[in-house]
Amino acid sequence: MSMTATRMLARDWRGGELGVLVMALVLAVGVVSGISAFTTKLQNALVQESHRFLAADAVVSSGRPLPDQWLRQAKIDGLQSAKTLSFPSMVYAGDDNMYLASIKAVSEEYPLRGQLTYGIEPFGETVPATAGPARGEVWLDSRLFSLLDVALQDQVVIGDQPFLVVAVARTEPDQGASFYGFGPRVLMHYDDIPATGVVQPGSRVEYRQLYAGSEADVKTFSRWLQPQLQDGQKALSVEEGQPSISNALARAESFLLLAGSLAVVLAGVAVALAARRFSERHHDYVAIIKSIGATSGAVNRLYASSLLLLGLIATAMGCGLGFAIQAVFFELFAEQLPVQPGSSGMRPYAIGAATSITCLFCFAWPPLRRLGQASPLRVLRRDLPLEGGRAISDYLLGLLAVVLLMWWYSGDWKLTLAVLAGLAVTVGLGLGLALTLLRGGRLVGMSAGNIWRLALAGLQRRGLANALQVVIFSMAIMMLLVLLLVRTSLIDEWQTQLPADAPNHFMLNIGPEEVPAIESVLSEEGVVREAFYPMIRGRIMSVNSEELVSTEDVEEQRRQREINLTWSDGLPKDNTLVAGQWWSAGNDQALVSLEEDFAERLGIKVGDSVGFLIGSQPLEAQVTSIRALDWQSMRPNFYLVFPPKLLAAYPSTFMTSFHLEVADKAFLNRFIRRFPTVTVIEMDAVVEQVRGIIEQVSAAINLVLVVILAAGGLVLVAGVQASVDARMHESAILRALGAPRRLILGSLLIEFATLGLFAGFLATVAAELSVAILQILVMDMRYTPTVWIWPLGILLGALIIGSLGVASCRKVVSVSPVTVLREL
Amino acid sequence: MIKCNNLQKRVPIAGHELEILKGITLEIKSGESVAIIGASGSGKSTLLGLLAGLDEASGGSVTINGTDLGTLDEDGRARFRGEHIGFVFQSFQLLPALTALENVMLPLELQGQSNVTEQAEHYLKRVELDARLGHYPLQLSGGEQQRVALARAFASRPAILFADEPTGNLDSRTGDRIIDLVFELNREEGTTLVLVTHDSALADRCDRRLRLDGGALVKE
Repeated sequence: MSMTATRMLARDWRGGELGVLVMALVLAVGVVSGISAFTTKLQNALVQESHRFLAADAVVSSGRPLPDQWLRQAKIDGLQSAKTLSFPSMVYAGDDNMYLASIKAVSEEYPLRGQLTYGIEPFGETVPATAGPARGEVWLDSRLFSLLDVALQDQVVIGDQPFLVVAVARTEPDQGASFYGFGPRVLMHYDDIPATGVVQPGSRVEYRQLYAGSEADVKTFSRWLQPQLQDGQKALSVEEGQPSISNALARAESFLLLAGSLAVVLAGVAVALAARRFSERHHDYVAIIKSIGATSGAVNRLYASSLLLLGLIATAMGCGLGFAIQAVFFELFAEQLPVQPGSSGMRPYAIGAATSITCLFCFAWPPLRRLGQASPLRVLRRDLPLEGGRAISDYLLGLLAVVLLMWWYSGDWKLTLAVLAGLAVTVGLGLGLALTLLRGGRLVGMSAGNIWRLALAGLQRRGLANALQVVIFSMAIMMLLVLLLVRTSLIDEWQTQLPADAPNHFMLNIGPEEVPAIESVLSEEGVVREAFYPMIRGRIMSVNSEELVSTEDVEEQRRQREINLTWSDGLPKDNTLVAGQWWSAGNDQALVSLEEDFAERLGIKVGDSVGFLIGSQPLEAQVTSIRALDWQSMRPNFYLVFPPKLLAAYPSTFMTSFHLEVADKAFLNRFIRRFPTVTVIEMDAVVEQVRGIIEQVSAAINLVLVVILAAGGLVLVAGVQASVDARMHESAILRALGAPRRLILGSLLIEFATLGLFAGFLATVAAELSVAILQILVMDMRYTPTVWIWPLGILLGALIIGSLGVASCRKVVSVSPVTVLREL
Repeated sequence: MIKCNNLQKRVPIAGHELEILKGITLEIKSGESVAIIGASGSGKSTLLGLLAGLDEASGGSVTINGTDLGTLDEDGRARFRGEHIGFVFQSFQLLPALTALENVMLPLELQGQSNVTEQAEHYLKRVELDARLGHYPLQLSGGEQQRVALARAFASRPAILFADEPTGNLDSRTGDRIIDLVFELNREEGTTLVLVTHDSALADRCDRRLRLDGGALVKE
């Protein structure tokens, strides 16, 4: 047939018939590629940001010197590199003062990522540094100034070498959250090490090589490096640098992928709705061309080629829209981002194009394919029913498409499953509702005198169509609720983990006799602190009388290790029992409670016995419980807890954590002078860094939520639009017969609001189920039912659908009935 | 030319079958003009739909120029319509997205003919619409739209023209002009005309009248 698809499309476009379908497709491609590009770039940015915690893009660490050849190879591969060396050593000042410090020697290039800061007075303001100390100079931790009784420009000695104190060491990007056994920091130049003579073969030291460059170069180099690594040489990842950040990033990524997957489903639904309406409106068109000789094959070819052409145009437009969406996002977001993200690559647009093809084939084509079967008799009898009923195979095709798209998009079958479970609930309950409405018999006749009876009659008369609509509405509302719930619980959890007054300083090595004095000093200063926890250094030796391996170089989970032990009569704050029982107060038996990951690493269960060496005394204790705890809480946390009476005889120190504002930090100078043996660890910079990242991730999540809300809103509009023709037709006739405006709008409002009420209810049930699966299986969070979502979901459903429905049908009371009927 | 033998149409309604046509037998000769008249609901449009191959009979047969429409599937009937049949409808049934010229070109394009533009222009000129080739249906009056529909119907040179209440949506003066045109073109092209109408004056202009009552042919 020579009438080309192009001409038909052009004519349809002029006639306004294509608008909705094109819009839905462009939006589908736009939202999917836009969100995908945005999340890809955001992930890039966040990964870069997280590299700050390594001070590089890749790091190798070892207890022995690392080969210089690696640095040369890094240079060949186009990477920058730096070296650091950390070790404990005594620092001397004058004749009387000395202190065991944690020394870190850095090369000029350090840090490659993130910011090194210094200060000009202990615990004072931080100033960004361009490089570490020059040769012959050192930066000292704030508390060393009191402990060594030195000031800036004084001299300190490390090993055989004197150094000039030029600054206060404040923060390093890779200082991390681990501090046990570390003394206060001294930063020095890497090349000064030989002169000190303190690093000898066998010393407890940590050598690091740091590398940074473009993502591709780092990948090439890492691939080269991996096989070179020997025992004791370890490539570090962000996870090891900063677990709370990697956790936040992983969950944020899950959220963004979830959002994108929901966008795919919403887009599919919108396209299906638009195509269905397009197809319904084209029935007359097809009837005419069939009456003058077009065969079903010719009609199918015409619509298939039109659809293909439409797909190409819409995909191109959609990719453009997607590019614009991500660009606008980043424009809005630029100020909050610490680093400029690189390009997102072509993948997001490929995903957009694939979404478009899938939507066209699985959602748009089935209703259009039926146009080929439209009866030409419609030219004589317009009241003939449409070839509408979608076969089960169409729904299965659509479902399969949704599953595959979501799975491909998220790469996570658990996430796909969670959303599917919710969708299954809406469809199942929705169909149940349809059967109830249809089987209920004719409850009421259409009574034009009564607004309620009119609405109810309408609801029942279009039972199946209404049920389908309820399913669509509830799918859209469910997805929005799921996103809202997950977002809220994510952000809530982050905020509870790190509230504004989260502890940001730790205090260790408190002698038992110092506890009362420190307690009163802190309360006099108004410092809010956690409880004092006793701390005993012990070594885990055996499990069920089986001796563990003792080497430290081997990557062995079940090995002997030094560990901090504590005691407590009650279950520590924020800990939860996952197995076994807590002991009764005053118990003096040899019992122990283990943290769950620790127990898992060592393969220990409740009832096992574990052997320890505390000082030189062995201790065998039976495991009575396993605990889960929150490592990100910045409170003292312990792998192993014993009954107080059991450990009372062993020498112990105490620790606590507390919150201190920057302005109050000068207090620490006085404190350290009074309690010189107590170690104070500043974590405020780390806490701030973590909070900063979490704020950015939260902002991104909120932005994505807004976009998905818009997409969901469009599906709702498309869903309402799909049913408007039939309702307008009836209303126009009632209007022509003299029905008042209030009656028509009122009954429409009741009808739509009732649909919305049902949809909101189904959506809430389904959302709870999806969220439970998502939080438990995907996000590794604890699930608790959300009470407020029930009234919210149901009322919002009624309100939104009710007002959208009335808004869409308003024309029926503002334009003459003849105009309305003619246009339908 | 058109032979119709014991033609029946039944439709299921609320659990039982409603008989719309109760065994119609008739014959229409080539070149003849026949009016089918009858009250609303007598089955006129149903008969027209069956004679024109737009619908399938529940019993009996329709044979046009020796082809039994009952032996053709929907695509076969579509091809048959394209080659042998033209239509004029009460509600014009022009495609709103196409111009007058494009509407007339459509059946010719469907038949894969050449020179479709020239042929279409010729027939639009014949119905005196050569000045309105580029207009869309909504930009034309009812009479003009029906003239475009006439041009479209005759452009494919059908052997039979079926007209369903062709003046039903027009005022009487415009309706008269359309009917004049229908008969003129009918004569010029030697077409068989089958016309469904309420209008007895219009029916009188045909060679023969067939009256339907309650789904059966009755003698006048």
